[in-house]
Amino acid sequence: MIPKLDILRDRGTMLSRSRQFFVDRSVLEVDCPILSASASVDAHIDLIPATPIDGKRFLHSSPEYSMKRLLSSGIGDIFQLSHVFRNGESGSKHNPEFTMAEWYRVGFTFPEIIEETIDYCRLFLGDLPSESITYRQAFLKYAGIDYLGISEIELLKFLERKEITVYPEIAKEGKEALLNLVLGLIIEPHLGKHSLCALTHYPASQAALAKALRIHDEDVAERFEIYHQGVELANGYHELCDATEQRFRLIEANKMRLQMGKEELPIDENFLTALENGLPECCGVAVGFDRLMMLRHKTSQIADVIPFVWSNA
Amino acid sequence: MAQISTTDLRAGMKVEVENQPYTVVSNEFVKPGKGQSFNRVRIKHLMNGRVIERTFKSGEKLDEADVEETLMRMLYREADGIIFMDDKSFEQHKIPMENLGDAVNWLKDDLVFDVVFYKGNPVTVEPPTFIELKITETAPGDRGNTASGRVLKPAVVETGAKIQVPIFIEEGETVKVDTRTGEYVSRVN
Repeated sequence: MIPKLDILRDRGTMLSRSRQFFVDRSVLEVDCPILSASASVDAHIDLIPATPIDGKRFLHSSPEYSMKRLLSSGIGDIFQLSHVFRNGESGSKHNPEFTMAEWYRVGFTFPEIIEETIDYCRLFLGDLPSESITYRQAFLKYAGIDYLGISEIELLKFLERKEITVYPEIAKEGKEALLNLVLGLIIEPHLGKHSLCALTHYPASQAALAKALRIHDEDVAERFEIYHQGVELANGYHELCDATEQRFRLIEANKMRLQMGKEELPIDENFLTALENGLPECCGVAVGFDRLMMLRHKTSQIADVIPFVWSNA
Repeated sequence: MAQISTTDLRAGMKVEVENQPYTVVSNEFVKPGKGQSFNRVRIKHLMNGRVIERTFKSGEKLDEADVEETLMRMLYREADGIIFMDDKSFEQHKIPMENLGDAVNWLKDDLVFDVVFYKGNPVTVEPPTFIELKITETAPGDRGNTASGRVLKPAVVETGAKIQVPIFIEEGETVKVDTRTGEYVSRVN
């Protein structure tokens, strides 16, 4: 591997080339606040609080809500390239502070945003072929199970056959947690071995901020992730514009947090008001810049591609 | 008992899982998409060396195993055990023969062993990887069966272990032995 300073020089170049990628497509750079009074509410994303003199704030886990406020006021296509924060996410592929490229395209279709995300990844990884598989197909192909029909007991038996020992409390966390284990341990390693692979149409229960729809017997979300060599690179949506549905999902996420013994997070009323005023039909995506740098430099350690890793920052 | 979060678990740490002591081999933080995060931990049993994999919820706390690793010098042998001395504290411990495992083949005065105590009891005794030992018994080289193409012959070293040495090695010579495999490495001049 090349010396760290050379990787950091290349990192600087790729930050510039990222900006150029968006400028070439007439996507405007914005720099929404990193600290805000309310926050993104996700069941499984924990925020790092900050304590300024006038009350509690949170470091953002994504600039999504702020960017959607701008979209609703009619700003048009925008991107933000900034550091985001996730409490406790430390590992070879995770750093609690990391760099994310997030952008929104007004009027884009779901396939169009997937294609553009893959093009952005190619900026780092070269002209790799792309492929696409739905969440349901991926479970059938790589695990041999239909996630929709399978019961929790059957999932537990399946994991046992794969010699994956689960933690005892997982039974309480339900089917989602079991599917999550199967995804992380059995399916992800197969995704994008020699390609950029879009995993699409997540179960509606994992929609987050994506539009949900029914296809035949399945309630799905227009949500996708991009993988290369089993590494998750991006998470994108055909964005949910319905304020009522959005409020319901935020409240549900908070309920789940409480069940798991986590703190409830303040609901961002400014964000919901923006949706009420009308979010234009749009698609958006967030891409892990550091992960792309890891794959570009063929390293399995995020510490190799960022100036100073969490434990040394 | 002290506890450690899966978040802080590093290779080499000693933990207790299902009432057994393990050494952490690796710890991987996994978080697919927007799902729950978990840690995939590979651990090696302290005594039998079996490596197993366990999945823990991120942030879950594990018991630290009451394990202490000490360098101990062999002083002398008694009928039912070996007397070792802690090289730092000069404390002496008698380790019963049955706790010595394969180290029983490599017991030599003044040799420094890596001893692991679990709940105060010695559970593993590791000799240095390479040690030098004198050959106390072997047939003369010229009587080696070279006709069949064999270049090795049996020999007994000063600790009593039986090893295979090249036919040119004579009684009274010193050789270097790999204690992991019990194999001859080289002649020591």
